[in-house]
Amino acid sequence: MNIIKYLFAMIALVGALSAYATADLEVNTPGVNAIKSSMQARHAQLAGYYASGAVGLSMDGMIELRDPGSVPLAARQTVNALVAAENQDRDALYAEIANANGHPEWKAEIRSTFAQRWIQRAQRGWWVMSNNGWTQK
Amino acid sequence: MLLVSTAARGAEFMLGINDIVSQAFAASGIRMVLPMDGSADLQIASLKVQQREFHNVRVRCGEFTLSSVQIACRKGHLDLMPDAALDFSYAFDSKQLQLTLAAAGGESWQVAGKLGERAWQVTVRLRNAQGLRLASLFPADVPLPTKGTLNGTLRVSGNESGAEIVNVDMQLAEVAFSDASGLHAAEKLHGPVKLTVKRSGAVWNWQGNVAWQSGEMFWQPLYLRGGSGLSAFGSYDGKLFKVEQAVVDLPDVGRVQLTASWNVQKSTLLEGTLQGRGLALTSLFEVYAKPFLDKGSLAESALYGHADVDAQYRNGGLQSLRLNLHEAGISDTARRFALLGVNSDIDWQADAPRTAIIAFAGGALLGAPLGAGQWTVNMKGLEFDVPQASLPILDGKLDLRDFHLHREMFQAGKPCSGCSQAVQAGKPCSDCKQEWHWYFAGSLVPISMEQFSTAAGWPKMLGTLAGHIPRVSYDGREISVDGALLFNVFDGTVVATRLKLADAFGRAPKLSGNLAMRNLDLDLLTRTFAFGSMQGRLDGDVNNLELQDWLPVRFEARVYSSAGSYPRKISQRAVQNISSLGGAGAAAAIQRSYLGFFENFGYDRIGWSCVLRNDLCQMGGIEAADNGPYSIIRGGGIPAISVMGYNRAVSWGELITRLKRVTQDNVTPIVD
Repeated sequence: MNIIKYLFAMIALVGALSAYATADLEVNTPGVNAIKSSMQARHAQLAGYYASGAVGLSMDGMIELRDPGSVPLAARQTVNALVAAENQDRDALYAEIANANGHPEWKAEIRSTFAQRWIQRAQRGWWVMSNNGWTQK
Repeated sequence: MLLVSTAARGAEFMLGINDIVSQAFAASGIRMVLPMDGSADLQIASLKVQQREFHNVRVRCGEFTLSSVQIACRKGHLDLMPDAALDFSYAFDSKQLQLTLAAAGGESWQVAGKLGERAWQVTVRLRNAQGLRLASLFPADVPLPTKGTLNGTLRVSGNESGAEIVNVDMQLAEVAFSDASGLHAAEKLHGPVKLTVKRSGAVWNWQGNVAWQSGEMFWQPLYLRGGSGLSAFGSYDGKLFKVEQAVVDLPDVGRVQLTASWNVQKSTLLEGTLQGRGLALTSLFEVYAKPFLDKGSLAESALYGHADVDAQYRNGGLQSLRLNLHEAGISDTARRFALLGVNSDIDWQADAPRTAIIAFAGGALLGAPLGAGQWTVNMKGLEFDVPQASLPILDGKLDLRDFHLHREMFQAGKPCSGCSQAVQAGKPCSDCKQEWHWYFAGSLVPISMEQFSTAAGWPKMLGTLAGHIPRVSYDGREISVDGALLFNVFDGTVVATRLKLADAFGRAPKLSGNLAMRNLDLDLLTRTFAFGSMQGRLDGDVNNLELQDWLPVRFEARVYSSAGSYPRKISQRAVQNISSLGGAGAAAAIQRSYLGFFENFGYDRIGWSCVLRNDLCQMGGIEAADNGPYSIIRGGGIPAISVMGYNRAVSWGELITRLKRVTQDNVTPIVD
């Protein structure tokens, strides 16, 4: 009986993995495109803060204000707002891609895949979060 | 103090001193080493001042004297301030204390005290004192000084029952502070701080003045610049912190007067008042309100004009608000909406009905000018009613009926009974939150589409915009239209049903609904969009329309010739444009054929459909068929023309690009 349960579990697991493997992360919908454009427009404002280390990439596919002290006081709320808006967009992007793939429940896995991508593609000198804390690439 | 003398060890004496414990001060593990050269080394294993604890505090005196008259330390050093020279003396008879810490740059901390048992006083004079040195006196989780100097005097006097009077007169220069997160910080603060506190029995009466002359402060999410002043007095009895009166001068805003009664233990405001005359709304909104707003229409707006404010807070809520608006106004930064020249005397009471008359001089809606008007608002607590209102737009107007706005406790879309009472009783009601809900009905008295489209910067449209607006309501999450929204445009009708707008005031509004267009005059329509002339009547249906951030995400659309008898003509250019929507190539064919001789053609029927999914428009023609070529125009009369479509699928973005190309003025037909 246990062997049959085990087999079923394996089949279900393999099924889930193969289904996820087919997720199209580059899917294009107006929603995805709108979010991407919004993120691209914001990137020009954020790039300087990534380079200065004020903002870093976290492990959950989001960004964080890691060193507000390095930002002039007058710009601190602007950076705060940029980080908040970027994280809202990123969250919406993962949800939209999952929806466009017809599997809203894939959002967490898509977020995790993107988290690795963002960190891999981070430019030299940017700060990224790892299991050992913040490190500079 | 109990001295326990120890045996001389070599050429020095070592004294162990018993622990000293008082309410605000405790020292333990006190040890003094007295070498034979006249110096001294005092070590305190643990020193507690107020809530702060220091370990291994060490004072070294180059010259130390202890006699029956006094104890004195010269050429000394304190470990906590290693760069400062320490001198102190204490005369046992007169109980006079003198202490000086002096460091480079003319910095000095001078303490002079007379420590009598019945009456005592301590004066601290600071000259160029580094604020950074005070950091160790504060708990680590509050903003700590990081830079800057203090000049001035602190005087404390009292008797055997404790401190009686505290006087602070300090000048701040280049002062900076920050907490660990950097979200509460200031830089380059300049200005005098004066504070007097006097005890009367168990009550402390205080009075203070702060002139924040220059510098900047970030107190998340507020960013403030110097130029403001505060003058206040009040009392504190250990439970209640009262501000009897505070006058705050806010730069570019005006003067605000406050009173408050704060329960320190519960961290709650018991009652308070706020008054201001002629406050400038632009800066008030920009600096003090906007940073708290999320991205949305209101956060992208600007306020204008001035206001007198008189507000009273009591029993956990606002009790009254008198708001006098003088030439006030609001407009969003994109200038889509503006209401200007607003004057009103609003006298709102939490527990009594009131009526307010709001008059406005004009404004703008999507670029179209709004005329002057006057609205009567009936207020009953947090319920607001406008029975009838009119908003003049160009040559027409928007008439609103039965506008009702109210605030309710809601939980997951349902009213939560009992929550209001719970909140009033100070109990948590975690899942319930207050939401603003509103609804209204109305109608559009005909507005010239020609004037409106010109003002809005759209292609010039002919005809009038008029319609009936059934009940429109907002439930805290989405705006929905009950029934059908009817507009008369292009000599036909457009009826919108099942309209819902979610996240209306948020970052990405989502609109859904159905549209039914009937009997639109093709001539008016095609002239408007410079599409090439077409005569006839057109019906259309757009079902399950979904816009996200105002861009279409999905719909099932179909346009087709209206039933009935009417002239059906299409110009050569319109045929070409329709053809070129299907891609280049087919469009050019007509130019090369004999049909190029004719300017206009007859047709029998027009039909086109598009099902949009995932940015892909799946097209069809007059007849429903899944595959193969489809007929968009079926010919009729002489000369007649038929147009066939061959591409079934086209990217929505590409289709819009083609449509823009053919509807632009001065477009040249494609000729091979």
